Parts: sequence; C-alpha cells; structure tokens
Amino acid sequence: MDLLTQILINGVLLGGLYAIMALGLALVWGVLNIVNLAHGAFIMLGAYLAWHLYTYLGIDPFLGLPLTAIIMFGLGYVVQRGLLNLIVRAPMFNTLLITFGIEVVLTYLAQLAFSADYRTINPPYAGNSIALGPVVVPLARLMAFGIAIALTVGMWVFLLRTRLGRAIRATAQNLVAARLYGVEPRHLYAVTFGIGIALAGAAGGLYGTVSQINPYIGAALTAKCFAIAIIGGLENPLGVIVGGLVLGVIESLAVLYIGATFADVASFGVLVLVLIVRPSGLLGKTA
Amino acid sequence: MFKPVSYLAGALLSATALLAAGPAASADDIVLGASVQLTGPLANTGRYYKDAYEFAVEKINEAGGVKVGAEKRKLALKIYDNQSDVSLSVRQYTQLVSQDKVSLLLGPFASNFALADSAVSEKYKVPMVQGGGASDQIFSRGFKYIFGTLAPASNYFGSTVSMLKELDPAPKTVALLYADDAFDVSVAKGTRPLLKAAGLTTVMDEKYTSNASDFSALLSQVKDKKAEVVLVAGHETEILNFVRQAKSLAVAPKLYSFTVGVPSDDFRKALGSDADYAFGMTAWLPTAELKDKWFGDAAAFAKAYKEKFGYDPDYHAASGIADVEALAQAVENAGTTEPQKVRDAIAKLKFDSLYGTIAFGESGQIDLPQIVIQVQGGKVAEVYGAKGFIEKPHYPMPAWDAR
Repeated sequence: MDLLTQILINGVLLGGLYAIMALGLALVWGVLNIVNLAHGAFIMLGAYLAWHLYTYLGIDPFLGLPLTAIIMFGLGYVVQRGLLNLIVRAPMFNTLLITFGIEVVLTYLAQLAFSADYRTINPPYAGNSIALGPVVVPLARLMAFGIAIALTVGMWVFLLRTRLGRAIRATAQNLVAARLYGVEPRHLYAVTFGIGIALAGAAGGLYGTVSQINPYIGAALTAKCFAIAIIGGLENPLGVIVGGLVLGVIESLAVLYIGATFADVASFGVLVLVLIVRPSGLLGKTA
Repeated sequence: MFKPVSYLAGALLSATALLAAGPAASADDIVLGASVQLTGPLANTGRYYKDAYEFAVEKINEAGGVKVGAEKRKLALKIYDNQSDVSLSVRQYTQLVSQDKVSLLLGPFASNFALADSAVSEKYKVPMVQGGGASDQIFSRGFKYIFGTLAPASNYFGSTVSMLKELDPAPKTVALLYADDAFDVSVAKGTRPLLKAAGLTTVMDEKYTSNASDFSALLSQVKDKKAEVVLVAGHETEILNFVRQAKSLAVAPKLYSFTVGVPSDDFRKALGSDADYAFGMTAWLPTAELKDKWFGDAAAFAKAYKEKFGYDPDYHAASGIADVEALAQAVENAGTTEPQKVRDAIAKLKFDSLYGTIAFGESGQIDLPQIVIQVQGGKVAEVYGAKGFIEKPHYPMPAWDAR
C-alpha cells in the first residue's frame, strides 16, 4: 500500500512537470495553429539559460524563473515576427517543416555553444525531500508542481479575464471579426508565441533542477508535450494539467505493474485511445 | 515563402560539412576510416574516440610513422560524423571501404553501433579494431574481421560481485536494472549467473527503456523491496537521473554501482558531492606501470591528453588509442597494408600499450579484468582488483540526510 501511494505521488508530481512543459505548446497550437516541433528545443534553451544564471551569477533556479521566462519571451517574439509570421497562414506542412528546421538548428547550435557535456542545476536543496510517514515527497518536484498549477491557473485567468487574453482568444476563434474590432494580429501572434516560449523556458529551468540537461533532450520532450496536449485538449489550459497528470500517473503505474520498458507504450497507448474515443474535437484542431 | 526554409537548409548543410571535415591525406598515407558520434545524444562519449584517434595518429606520425616492409609511411584519418544514428553509421562505413578506399577501419562508440557496423567490415573483408562496443553479441557471430579492445560486457560486474562477498556486513539482496540495448542486455545476462553463484538473492530484475528520464517508480520499488545492492547497467544520462532521483526520494541502498559514468570527469562534475559513494568499474587507470611505445606510459598519456583536449581521459579514450596502436603494430608485423594479411597479424598481436597488454582471444575480443572504483570525496578511488581490496570502500552508503 505504501508503495502504491508512493508511486501515485511520484506520478502526480511527474505529471505536474509534464504539464508545465506542455502548456506553451498547447497555447501556440491552439491560437496560432502551429504545432511547434521546436518546443522541446526551447525547453532545452531555457534549461541552459537557468543553468548559466545559477552557475555563473548564483541566481537560484526557482527565483530566476521570471528572468528566464522574460528572456525566452523576447526570443519567442523575435522568432515569430521574423520567421514564423511568414508561414502563419500557410498549410500545416510548411509550419511543421520550419519548426522542425528550427529544432535542428537550435540543437546543433547548442552543442557548438555548450558542448555535449551533461549539466545539472543542482542547488543544495534540489535533492531534499519531505517524509510523510513511509512516503517521501521530493521537494524540487513538489515546488515544480506548485509552479505548474499556479502558471496554469494564471494562464486560464489571463485568457478569460484580461483584454490581451480576450484578444488572443478572439483571434484564435475568428480572425476577421477580431481584426474588425481592432486587434493587430501580427503583434498578437508574436506575443502569444512569446508567451509559449516563455513557458517553455520556465519549464526548462525546472527540468534542469530535477533531471539533466544536454543539447539533445528536446526531441523527446516535444513528443511528450504533443501527447499531453492531445490528451488534455487545446481549448483550456486546465486540460493540459489533466493531460500531464493522466500521463504521469499512467507511466508510473505501468512501471510498477507491467515493467519499466512499457512506460512509453502506455503513454502513447493512451494517446491513441484518446484519439479513438474523442476524435471529433481533436481532429478539428489538427486538420 | 520557401526562402527561409532554404536558408535554414543551407545553414544546416554547411554546419554538417564543417563537422565532417578532417585533415587532408597524401597519396601514400595509410588511411584509417571511422564513423564516430560527433553530434547527437552520444556525442558526449563519441568525442573520446575522435580525440583519441587523432592523438594516437599524431603521436605515431611524430615518431616517423609506421614501418611497412622497408619504408616508413604516415597514418591519416578519415572520420565521419554519424550523428548518433546507427543506420547512417553503416552507410558511412560502406562509403569508407567502397568509395574512399580506406586501408583499415577503426570503430564507432557503443555496442549497437559496433554490432551493425561490423557487418560492413566482414562483408568487405577489411579489419576493424573497435574500442567502443563491449557487448558479447558482437563477437558471438564468428566474424573474422572485427576486433574489440573493451572488456566483455558480460563480465563488467564480475569484480564487483566478487567484492560483494568480501564486504562487511555482507549484503544479501540485489536489484539488477538495465537498459534495453545490446550492451546493457549483455551485462545483465552475464551478471545473473554471477549473482546466483555468489549466493545473493535478486529481488528485482528489471529492464527499462534507453533514454528513460524518470526513475522514481523504479526507485520506489528498490526501496520497497529493500534491495541492499543496486546494480545499474545503462547510459550516463540515465545514471545521472537515477542518482539525482535517488537523493530526492531518499533511496539509499547500502551500495550502488553503475556500468558507466563513474570513471568520467563529466559525471562527477554534473553531480558534485552527490556523486560520492557511487561504485563503478574500469579496465584502465592512468598508471605509470602501463608502458607504451609511443606515449611513454599511461600517466604521461593522461597528462598530455588533458593538456591537449582540456578534459581527463577515461577508459574509452585509452581504448581508442589502443585501437590505433593495434592497427599500426599489426601493419608493421605484417609488413603490408593488405587487409587480409593485416587481419591475420591483428589476430596474433601481443604487445604492451598504455591500455594494457593487447592480445585478442579466439572471438576477437580482448580480456581485461575490471577494477572496482568508487567516487570518494569527489575523486575516483581504486577499491578492488584481481588481488582483493586496494583502498577501503566507503560502505555502507549512509542515508542521504546523514552525509
């Protein structure tokens, strides 16, 4: 029983990390209709940024998250304005091609700049844990989970309540009507993409404190984020949390009951299942 | 609309071209060809081979080159970047022998690569001496043209298991975790009978997916099943995650040992003081006792290597040096670069190098004993060798909050 409780806690905390990684991907996909294959590469860049801030400037990875997010927002804004805006109305294939290209370029630039050495963001408390009787809760993962929830709820409120958030939703729903109401889509798209990349950057900082960083972590993270976004749905940021939690718990249970090689089989199996059971809502976004 | 895409493609192509560039060879150089992981997830270890190959070739050429019959000929290298992609690596070896017409082959890193690439050397009957693949599978197919300078994977934990029997208090239960690739499966296969013979109870025997990043579920089971010893056969990224997550979940078995990571500089840097107490093994240590014709001895080699490349060599680098030296020595012994004759000379080799005595068994693989090592206070200590304990192991590992 203790083991099961522990596994469930592990799964939920893992899910929180997954959710924050997928949040930006889901936002960009939902609003811009771009499946950003470079999302994982941006997470990797955010992780390196947080690593540099911590290693050279001594900025705590959690306190440094806003700074990481702001820098990544700037990068995202520029990439969208300078590159992605050229293909924002183009067929899906072109957006996949260009974001795939960005992922490859970022990965290889990262190896040239940072070498293939493995890095970890390792503040003294990163390995601490809270013991609740026989069950152990890792501190860094708990904090990451808290931040994931806070950011998701924050995103939700932002999209529902603020002027900018409403403009973003309006543009996603009906571009012509939004423009008639005075929304400037080019700026708005860039801001949305910037927010997506800022979230990726923040996720990268958290990922670096619980895992290891190298230039090649991006592709696998993109795949995972993609699955989470589909399972959770793109309509609502809260869906991403649900998607992340479902995936985290299922993977942990699969390791316990079926075997560790089946974690990915289980998570992508769930993906396929969701696509079968709820195809209409999901295909609407991807087509 | 397609402009930015073509720009990107152009930038990409030129970047790849830069990475694949090598020194120009003159017409009568003996060209050694290899496909190595210079980019991609395995680039971290791949660089040991590129640097070692280049360093060895440089040293041998400084000493005048290789004596072939009456004349002295220089060595040259042709290295391709396989981007950590096995199928690309096979294509590149095919290109090396069929189009580039290299004389002899050096290996890639990692067993699954060597497993696939050795089919090329066998088909074209060009000998390959490789120092990156230890899996017994590579040498169990009766191939004649593949030689390996890494000790057999099946025996990686051999010395560790011998040590377990002599520890006080002696551990009783073991968890064996391994990644699902050629090398790690061979390690697990070889370790099981050793554990059984040592009278240890295996409470967990679990395979996991290569590149797994979350070990929390496995670690929780290690704790639940009260495994006193945890043996992990995997890749360095996985080991890093494993140790970090063990700490954050407060899982502290009496001893844990890893097939990779512990000997490498990079591993200890990434983990800092959390790397302490981790056991590992190496078939090579940079001692002055290992004499070498070109480098003097292993200690001098390690120093020169660090100065040249800025990081400490580990057994991968020494193994890579041994590969080049084995080919050079075999060419001298054969008195020709004709591949079949060189092949026969390699099979008969027996010479001392900075890596140890190079001599290949019937299957083509070297046999070297593994020395048990442990990270103690941020440094690698030799703990257990063929003659028993060398330095006192830090055992049992204390709880994480008691360090």
